[in-house]
Amino acid sequence: MDGAASAAAARAPVPAKPVRRRLPPRLAAALLLVGLALLPGLVGLLPGMPDPMEQDLLALNMPPDAAHPLGTDHLGRDVLARLAAGTWLTLPTGIGGTLLAAGLGAGIGMLALTLGGVVAGAAYAAFDLLRVLPGTLLALLTAVVLGNGVWPVTLALGLAYAPLFAEVVRTAHAREMASDYVAAARVFGLGRLAVLWRHVLPNLLGPLITLSAIVLPRCIVTESVLSFLGLGVSPERPSWGRMIADASGFVEDAPHAVLAPMLALSALTLGLSLLGEMARRRADPLRREGRP
Amino acid sequence: MKGALVIGGALLRAAGLVAAIAIVVFLLLRTVPGDVVDVMAAQGDLNAAQQAALRAELGLDGGLLHQFGHWAAALSSGQLGQSLRFGRPVAEMVATALPVTLGFAAMAFALGLVLAMALAIGAVLLPRSVLPGLVEAINLWSIAMPTFVAGMGAILVFSLWLGWLPVIGNLPVPVVILGLDIAGQLAKPLLEELREAMAAPHVRTARAKGLHPVRIALAHVLPAALPVLLALSSVALAGLIGGTMTMEALFGLPGLGSLVLNAVHGRDLPVVQAVVLVLAVGVVAINAGADVLRRLADSRLTS
Amino acid sequence: MTLLAVTGLTVAAGERRLVDAVSFAIAPGEVLGLVGESGSGKSLTALALAGLLPEGIAVTGGRADFAGQRLTGLTERGWRALRGRRIAMVFQDPMASLNPFMTAGAQVMEALRQHHAEPSAALRARCDRLFREVGLDAALHPGRRPHQLSGGQQQRVVIAMALAGDPELLLADEPTTALDAAVQAQILALLRRLVADRGLAMLFISHDLGVVASVSQRVGVMRHGRLLEIGPVGRVLRAPSHPYTRELVDARSRLAGEVRAAASGEEVVLRVEGLAVAYPGQGAFAAPRRVVVGVDLTLARGEAFCLLGASGSGKSSVARALMGLAARPAGRVELTGRVLPPGLAARRDPLSRRIQMVFQNPYSSLNPRLTVLQALTEPLMTAGVPRAEWRARAGAALAEVGLAAEHLDRHPHALSGGQRQRVAIARALLADPAVLVCDEVLSALDASVQGQVLALLQRLRRERRLAVLFITHDLGVARYLGGQVGVMAEGRIVERGDTAEVLDNPRHAMTQGLLAAEALPPAA
Repeated sequence: MDGAASAAAARAPVPAKPVRRRLPPRLAAALLLVGLALLPGLVGLLPGMPDPMEQDLLALNMPPDAAHPLGTDHLGRDVLARLAAGTWLTLPTGIGGTLLAAGLGAGIGMLALTLGGVVAGAAYAAFDLLRVLPGTLLALLTAVVLGNGVWPVTLALGLAYAPLFAEVVRTAHAREMASDYVAAARVFGLGRLAVLWRHVLPNLLGPLITLSAIVLPRCIVTESVLSFLGLGVSPERPSWGRMIADASGFVEDAPHAVLAPMLALSALTLGLSLLGEMARRRADPLRREGRP
Repeated sequence: MKGALVIGGALLRAAGLVAAIAIVVFLLLRTVPGDVVDVMAAQGDLNAAQQAALRAELGLDGGLLHQFGHWAAALSSGQLGQSLRFGRPVAEMVATALPVTLGFAAMAFALGLVLAMALAIGAVLLPRSVLPGLVEAINLWSIAMPTFVAGMGAILVFSLWLGWLPVIGNLPVPVVILGLDIAGQLAKPLLEELREAMAAPHVRTARAKGLHPVRIALAHVLPAALPVLLALSSVALAGLIGGTMTMEALFGLPGLGSLVLNAVHGRDLPVVQAVVLVLAVGVVAINAGADVLRRLADSRLTS
Repeated sequence: MTLLAVTGLTVAAGERRLVDAVSFAIAPGEVLGLVGESGSGKSLTALALAGLLPEGIAVTGGRADFAGQRLTGLTERGWRALRGRRIAMVFQDPMASLNPFMTAGAQVMEALRQHHAEPSAALRARCDRLFREVGLDAALHPGRRPHQLSGGQQQRVVIAMALAGDPELLLADEPTTALDAAVQAQILALLRRLVADRGLAMLFISHDLGVVASVSQRVGVMRHGRLLEIGPVGRVLRAPSHPYTRELVDARSRLAGEVRAAASGEEVVLRVEGLAVAYPGQGAFAAPRRVVVGVDLTLARGEAFCLLGASGSGKSSVARALMGLAARPAGRVELTGRVLPPGLAARRDPLSRRIQMVFQNPYSSLNPRLTVLQALTEPLMTAGVPRAEWRARAGAALAEVGLAAEHLDRHPHALSGGQRQRVAIARALLADPAVLVCDEVLSALDASVQGQVLALLQRLRRERRLAVLFITHDLGVARYLGGQVGVMAEGRIVERGDTAEVLDNPRHAMTQGLLAAEALPPAA
């Protein structure tokens, strides 16, 4: 074989035998963090847990004890129960926002590029417009127009991150369409749709999934920031950001009420970010993706 | 001259963007049910005739286009309307709040930029030192630690536990926290870009010429990384908007963030409208600036 | 007295030896050529001698001594004292080797400042002298940035930078490979002159035996990291002792063999009249760039037409226009007697399938995610061939190009460049073309493989009466194929005729230039 082939053969993936060894430390740490962060949520599903909304005015700002493993907040509500309920608010909103962003960005982007020409130009001009507006600004607008709640927040998240997905689609599309093998396919008479299906889409899936893994923790952070500022889900509902905001006024009396959601949020974000970073590195070891 | 064309083109695009944003903001806020006059009518008893007169005076009685024209005209003469809650001209409120936000945002950005560059350049020149690890650490920090959590933590540690610093009106702490966050956003991508530039053929030539590593880093490697730095910086600056809002809320600073948050909670639409527009113009300006710089650099390379 | 003594030098990446116990010596003022195909380790040898090996690759055995000083095991600081001052290096791609942000003059001054502790005025004077010495205009070129210079000028600047410290040894790694044939000859002449004037020793590395032979006194042949033989140039070329060297020498001369008589009397399958291609200018108001201006040609069954020319002459654009890949071509194309409309829409017409193309780069003309079978079935898909027949037809096509059917389920990365190019040819053949357009299909291949692919094309011409439009810059290939030849320059065909006729009696300056630049081995 000539030199190029021997070099290529050296690079070719060797069929991997499943190796029973310990998980790499980064992966283990990431999973551990995510698990810890979600633990309260799972615990909260157990029967016999107190109502997160129930206020016990006789037990305000109590430190952790047997009845309340994480203490109570300034309205006498059980912190653990609220933490648990918050998990099922923060996480789905974050996931929803990511999925909406992917759907809007990749879906509309792909459609626009297929239709080509003016449509593509207009669509991507709109994406550029969205990209210019920071997430917080968008959330301000949705909060004012649509009020508080899960849906306005999800919409704001989706709109804020859609341009990233649209950009990934545009880059992949441009790269494929400029390649020689796509030129060859068109020379053979393959239509635009067939080319898209055969050559463009298979190369899209990987980057989209990787981007989703990176965007998810950011959505979660953004949701908590919005809730903290009062722009997120309704004020009574115990999103972690909201809990931090509420408890911040009583930090001296009940630090536990602030610490618990802070730690949970950091653990979840860090764990998911590590996982996202690992996904990106696996998908893309040599060629660096555009940074969002 | 070519440069003038580039700047002109970018300004045009920016103007178009601002116009589009203004239209969007205007339309969106008009969809909120009820208008200023309804609120005022509810607060003080205004009969139908008075409401109609007020509407006519405020230009709210015409069609959408008419209203937009009225608003745009007012805008161009610097009038941003009147606050519903406080009755003061919005322009005045914004003018008081803007310098506060601008001030500590600029300081935070400067801190973050300098820190990121120092860490990244150091890490690429001294790969076996602790610096690459520091870059990783600060990157992780900015990902995992939302600024408001860090701010909260700083309050817990420095104000409550150690009692060193006050909370309300504290300026250094938010600047440091935001600066660290920005450094975290910039350092690692910059380092990766520098590393890639180090492997570029023209850097190999510079080494073959026998040049000193620091000279190579500054004259040959860094310029290649500047475009990325520019792009990242504009993203980081835009992201500062959210950061300043949370810092103002936590530390009681009277900036734009506090202003607009209070307005949202109090349904003070003119204020919201004005601040959103000011912020959007700011972001567009930053992007346009970065765009101009990038195009100028490109044109120098391909003239 | 030896300037450079290399003994048993071994360079490895982990376990893999990339340079395996190589030994040679260079005397002061002597030029040693190192020839080998890609992956032979010749470039790494040079990099090791300048301390510029990339991450993960290191010298693991042997030693090298320069003017009595030991090179192997030198610290970075030690290397910095030598680099530029006593050992200089010139690389392959001049555009990439220059800092795009600095002017040419600034980059040369930077080198001068590093090696001479003199005041600015004196350095400026040196800089001007250097520019003139490498054949540039000292008033004009120092103020230009790299992208404002041609490839040849850029390489001259690189050479000037290398000479700034008055080195004794110049390591030249494929310095002319990325340049046009005519420019290549000029740079080689420059290097010969510099060696003579300065008493410079040089290690000249190339994959092109002819080029190496034209500058070196001695030549070494490398393969898979080993130095197979080394000796005076004349002796190695006339009487190679190693079979691989013989193969390399033969590959060159095989292409300089008998010119085949042109096929005559066959029906015309391709007639092109007034083909023109223009690309929109850069920027909103720029005039369109005319890359092809009025090209005519005819091809008969089984005939070969070579479109020759330097890069930028428009020859590739002609190919792409014929395949519908140019934006808005003008002119008239007749395929097997019927008019072929331009553009990609026409590719759905069964008529258009009678003309097919093989692309230059075998590494990018096949989708890395698809198997060979999937790639081959594209032409079958659009021809309406039933799915059940696909595998059989694909296997037959592979057999026709000399590949076993077992390759059908492999992915491109498991195939060599030559094999991939055969797959690309097989793919084109599956559309049953009457005309095959080959766009520089050999340039990305190693010398020994080029001959095999050419032989394949000749066989296909014979067996299928396939007309071949061959686009190349290599005159040897044109001679081998015979038939007609057209020389392109600036979008036009400036000279045409029978290959033997044109290449023996060139009339146009462009053709003469191409011929002059051909560096055939001396005393071959």
